[in-house]
Amino acid sequence: MARARSIAGPLLVLLSLLPMAAQAQSGAIRGNITDANTHQPIAGATVAVGSRGSLARDDGAYFISDISAGARTVTARMLGYAEGTRTVTVSAGDTVVVDFALTPQAVNLSQVVVVGYGEERAGNITGAVKQVNADQFNPGTVVTPQDLIQSKVAGVQVVDNNVPGGGLSIRIRGATSINASSDPLYVIDGVPIGTSAGGGISAGNDALNFLNPNDIESITVLKDASAASIYGANAANGVVLIKTKTGQGAPHVTYTGSVSASSVTRLPEMLNAAQFRAAVEQYAPQNADQLGNANTDWFGMIDRTGWGQQQNVTVAGAGETNNYRISVGYLDQDGIIRNSGTKRLSLGLGYNQRLFDDRLDIRANANGARSDDHFTPGGLLSNAAQMGPTQPVMDPSTVTGFYDWPGNTLQSADNPVAILNLASALGTTYRSVGNARAEYSLPFIEGLKADVNLGYDVTKVTQKTFNPSTLHGESKSGEGGYDYRADRSQLNTVLETYLNYAAPLDVVPGNVDVTAGYSYAKSHGENPSLTATGLGTDLLTTEGFPTAQNISPFLDTQDSKLISFFGRLNYNLNDRYLLSLSVRRDGSSRFGKSNAWGTFPSAAVAWRISEEPFMSGLSALSDLKIRASWAKTGNQSFANYQQFSTFLVGNGQAQVQFGDKFVSTARPSAVDPNIKWEETRSWDLGIDYGFMDQRFSGSIDYYRKNTDDLIFTVPVAAGTNLSNFLTTNIGSMKNEGVELSLSARVLDGADRRLGWTADFNASHNTNELTSINPFAGPAQQILTGLVSGGVGTYIQVLQPGEPINSFFVYKQKYANGKPVEGEYETLPGDSVAERRAFHDPAPNWILGHSSYFTYGKFNLNFTLRAYLGNYVYNNIASNLGTYQELSRASPYNLSTSVLETGFMTPQYLSDYYVEDASFLRMDNITLGYTFDYADHPVYASITVQNAFTLTGYSGVDPTAGLNGLDNNIYPRSRTVTGGLSIQF
Amino acid sequence: MNAMKWKALALAGAFLLTATVGCTDVTVEPKSTITETNLFNDPGSYQAFLAKIYAGLAVSGQQGPAGQPDIQGIDEGFSQYLRLLWEAEELPTDEAVIAWNDIGLPEMNTQLWDENNSFVVAMYYRIFFQVSMANEFLRETTDEKLAARGVTPELKAQIQQYRAEARFLRALSYWHGIDFFGNIPLVTEDDPVGATPPAQSTRVDIYNFIVSELNEIQSQLPQPGPSTYGRATGPAASMLLAELYLNAEVYTGTPDYADALAAAEAVIGSNAYSLDPKYQNMFLADNNKSPEIIFAITQDGTRTQTYGGVTFLVHASIGGSMTASNYGVDGGWVGLRLKPEAYHRYASGDQRAAYFYTSGQTDTVSAISDFSKGIAAPKFQNVTSTGAPGSNASFVDTDFPVFRLAEAYLIYTEAVLRGAGGSIDQALTYVNDIRERAYGGTAGDITMAQLTLPFILDERGRELLWEAHRRTDLIRFGEFTGGDYVWSWKGGTEAGTATENFRDLYPLPASETIANPNLVQNPGY
Repeated sequence: MARARSIAGPLLVLLSLLPMAAQAQSGAIRGNITDANTHQPIAGATVAVGSRGSLARDDGAYFISDISAGARTVTARMLGYAEGTRTVTVSAGDTVVVDFALTPQAVNLSQVVVVGYGEERAGNITGAVKQVNADQFNPGTVVTPQDLIQSKVAGVQVVDNNVPGGGLSIRIRGATSINASSDPLYVIDGVPIGTSAGGGISAGNDALNFLNPNDIESITVLKDASAASIYGANAANGVVLIKTKTGQGAPHVTYTGSVSASSVTRLPEMLNAAQFRAAVEQYAPQNADQLGNANTDWFGMIDRTGWGQQQNVTVAGAGETNNYRISVGYLDQDGIIRNSGTKRLSLGLGYNQRLFDDRLDIRANANGARSDDHFTPGGLLSNAAQMGPTQPVMDPSTVTGFYDWPGNTLQSADNPVAILNLASALGTTYRSVGNARAEYSLPFIEGLKADVNLGYDVTKVTQKTFNPSTLHGESKSGEGGYDYRADRSQLNTVLETYLNYAAPLDVVPGNVDVTAGYSYAKSHGENPSLTATGLGTDLLTTEGFPTAQNISPFLDTQDSKLISFFGRLNYNLNDRYLLSLSVRRDGSSRFGKSNAWGTFPSAAVAWRISEEPFMSGLSALSDLKIRASWAKTGNQSFANYQQFSTFLVGNGQAQVQFGDKFVSTARPSAVDPNIKWEETRSWDLGIDYGFMDQRFSGSIDYYRKNTDDLIFTVPVAAGTNLSNFLTTNIGSMKNEGVELSLSARVLDGADRRLGWTADFNASHNTNELTSINPFAGPAQQILTGLVSGGVGTYIQVLQPGEPINSFFVYKQKYANGKPVEGEYETLPGDSVAERRAFHDPAPNWILGHSSYFTYGKFNLNFTLRAYLGNYVYNNIASNLGTYQELSRASPYNLSTSVLETGFMTPQYLSDYYVEDASFLRMDNITLGYTFDYADHPVYASITVQNAFTLTGYSGVDPTAGLNGLDNNIYPRSRTVTGGLSIQF
Repeated sequence: MNAMKWKALALAGAFLLTATVGCTDVTVEPKSTITETNLFNDPGSYQAFLAKIYAGLAVSGQQGPAGQPDIQGIDEGFSQYLRLLWEAEELPTDEAVIAWNDIGLPEMNTQLWDENNSFVVAMYYRIFFQVSMANEFLRETTDEKLAARGVTPELKAQIQQYRAEARFLRALSYWHGIDFFGNIPLVTEDDPVGATPPAQSTRVDIYNFIVSELNEIQSQLPQPGPSTYGRATGPAASMLLAELYLNAEVYTGTPDYADALAAAEAVIGSNAYSLDPKYQNMFLADNNKSPEIIFAITQDGTRTQTYGGVTFLVHASIGGSMTASNYGVDGGWVGLRLKPEAYHRYASGDQRAAYFYTSGQTDTVSAISDFSKGIAAPKFQNVTSTGAPGSNASFVDTDFPVFRLAEAYLIYTEAVLRGAGGSIDQALTYVNDIRERAYGGTAGDITMAQLTLPFILDERGRELLWEAHRRTDLIRFGEFTGGDYVWSWKGGTEAGTATENFRDLYPLPASETIANPNLVQNPGY
């Protein structure tokens, strides 16, 4: 309560500054403000009569009272529109109606952009915010919503995942964390998803797959901390706001469908049968008699053309006071690895009702889906690489009918086709997110609105993995079959309520917009699972294990809470001087007692120079705005209960003898009872510019983010805690970068002539880990990046002064252009050859370009993406690129890199395998045609995704995940999609 | 502003506040994890927590044989308390070498460790892990906390004894702490759990602390009985006191042999122990039945599994042409042998050397990493006194005797010889009791004239071989470092060379002097 009052108090003071009721004996003016082209109301337009003014409501209506009688000039202004002026005569006691239809001048300034707890006009935003609307979304086959904005926003990296529906990470202006999440907070229709950034559970694919991309109207990225900080302890990685579509216009039914075919682009390059035989005969002649006479392309046996289809039917419309939208979607997308793929049945509901003279606005949204995922069974891709190409697929003499190397040695590869046919890895996810929201414009005080938003997020996940006892891997290890089953569920609920007051003030010039609110979010998860080995029968596959030698059950429940108070003050003087202040106070169940509450303030100012009278001579300059912002944000997306010393009960093999009996033990864990959020302080300096009525417009931003209190597990002074290592807030890191964007309407395409809009964006980020533990001096290293090969081979490092996850390798020595096995350069300052931090997986530059051409009824769009300076470790080449692998009990197939290196033994730690994976990729290219069929508008299109990739990288994919480790990753596909959309 | 507007405002404010009433409590207690809050709802938890302090000596983590390790930064098997203690007490002396090349291990054979040596570092952290566990147990069992939890009087009385046991175990580890490292921090239950580095105390302060603790808990500890095997008892506390007093000059600069003698007498006078008729039985899988063992670190093939402890001692002592199954295990780890000085200390007829394995082994250690160089000494075996194998061929049942009666006899004798009073005749009787067991008769008996301090050092070497006393004994006799006595591989050469005196203490870990800026490194490092 005390805290509530501390926020509510200033709010009440602000509200008391409301205009005092004036005397009567005067007239009034009322009317509607609309867009001259679209005839839609323009909410928030300023109408002024002398010193008296008002803001248009959401329905465009305005009312100004207490205007002294006489001839009065009424002006209506809205950013991005030509100002409207009318002169009327007001008589005492009368109300004059003055309607304005404003002519748009610069649409991208007046566009309404969704921000945290509200909406703003694009031109008046003080932070770095980018909204991408449905017409700019990436077309084609898109399973996961984040893919819609790939390459569309400067500073936003959507990290590819080639698995259909596979989990996508987003990095906004670089990673800010190591041991907590670096993913942004997602907010769907005002509901924060999960109680921490990147929240949500899934069966293995992306947690946002429940949201059909066809139901999304816009995705807004709050990049700088001042825009995001209204989300406080969840905002350090930026915020992604997703708005679902609403019904508009006359009732109508829309069908959208597509079919697609995906094919493999690149696979690991392995020796063919003849090369393999020659290599075995030369380097491991003792194994030559094991070789068969087949010529098997193992990758060819497990890949395929993946077919896909999507069907969406939407019923939508709007009435006088309501609108509605119902959508049903079905997606079935095969992966290019056999048996893998995802299916989704989704339902989207949206309803909006306005009541009481439009004062009460009630919206309800619900989106949900069932996703059925088929994953590639464990070891499939690695075994396809390792399996000898001279060996046959089938062998009628075995129990399963599949060939496997003779002898049950753990050292031999398994037949990947057998794995594919016998093992299964399945997942089913039910998830729904929805909310009911009421917004009430309070009577008596124009401009005061109260908002209540109740949201839920419910997920139920089933994961099933089954390896029959007849699988070669099972018989080799003696495990006797493996069955895993997990049924996890999570329910998150959110209550958010806030007051918003916006009105032109007579006491102070300019517009003040104040928001203050409260949020309560709760999460409950249950995670039971069962693991069975030594199966009594293989017959029931994933569906049961009536008997098994070992069954280990597991149950864990997780609860968390986040309680917040927030407030924001926007001040706008003549669309020229803009100020935004916000503060959020977050209390989280994840914070330790003495840090239970954190405060996250922000401040931003902007000056629209182009509005200054002295700039009026430069008519070509339609917009020039300088922005500066500072904010503090937090990251609380780490595990629950870190502040509690938990007691771990020892197992039955770690007992001790007390006289004549044995006693199990309980051990308290080392704990920092004051653990808290990781904290990021950010600066952003930006310029928004526009020329020729915004025909050319864009932004330039420079930012700097310093993150402190990073959570690390570090040695702690002996005796002070309950173990010698402690997880605590100790490290720091920084990110610094620039972003450039330009959107150009090169050809306006009027009268169905050629139109061309070109968008460009470029971003550069440098990351540096500045400290892991300030008490431990500079020479600290934490090894990361576990790769295949050897035992505990780590290829990356966290080291102060270097970007996170820098590769940590020796500098290879070369002779005659060939790497010399086992010989490394001694670097200046060293006495022997030593490993050093060397490049990192994050790109130095990310470039994006989208072009939208229209001509007559045709449109042609494409999106290009380039990364510069991203490095990838080719683990297939390092692990399977040595002749030693032939000397195993049964030989492994080799990467063709061995033909170049001639390595006999593995050189895992050589920088030879760290490759510059810069690339240029045509992400998608679409040709569309719009026509009418029996008076129904029809749109037909064909899209090619991943049309081509130009790169010098030798492995499977230069976008090999977040950490730049190319280790049996799912290959990338090229997808051709034919789409059709009809509206009835 | 008119009344209506105020009303609306009040409405709006009330609306906001109502929503927030009572909703500012962010505490969420974990439900599916065990914390301080719910642990003690089960009265058995007090015993389980105490058991952990004992387990800290016996296993490496919460999952036997490996998993959920107690300390981090070192391989879990290497991190086991007894294994580290044994290596720190035996490898740098004239008793043992280990063949392996794990980073830091070869230097343990030759006294050439530095402050980054992971075995030295892990020993330090193991000691303080024990101290931290004991401190936390004491914090969780204060009268106030027990009263708040409504503990029954019976349980409370039981817990008082548990508290004394926890303090005994803390004293034991602090003894190891000052013995190995000298000046270390003194952290007790009065210090809060946190991350504030503690101040460095002197060896003397901690010595005094241990002595006063042991004297204080002496009466609260149970007397030996069927339920006390593997646990601290009154005589165990006396034995620990005897060890401290015996080395008082090393720890404090002032000798205190009179108290050492009294403490040894207290152990002997308890009449709870007698010499095991068969020497070898004290090192076999059923040594829990031995009447001689005063305090043991218990091991069990099925219920107390670790890759350290006696499992390490049994496996690592087997190699060459030895047949592992003869010792009750499934394989040798090809590591530990005797240094020749220890081997040659035994005269023929001394049955304490009966188990030595010489076939295919040389008596000199010409190469540390070659198992065949040096006599194998499978003293600890996973077979019972009747020759049956232990319960598990991978993990042994054999307990480690920390204190046993024969050592009390030797302490008594040494104290008498060092002028503490007592009876020299009694001392000779004690020594000859030990030797008669060793020789199976009076053939090895000595005369009063032979009963000298150098004889005692050698006799301790023979009787207590590989029982983790040798480094402390050599230091007390001034022979561990320096050049008065050199042995194979002392200082890094096969013939042995003098080492510097600062190596009587191990260095404080480099990571620790960084994490705790209060610490001053031991001289020489």
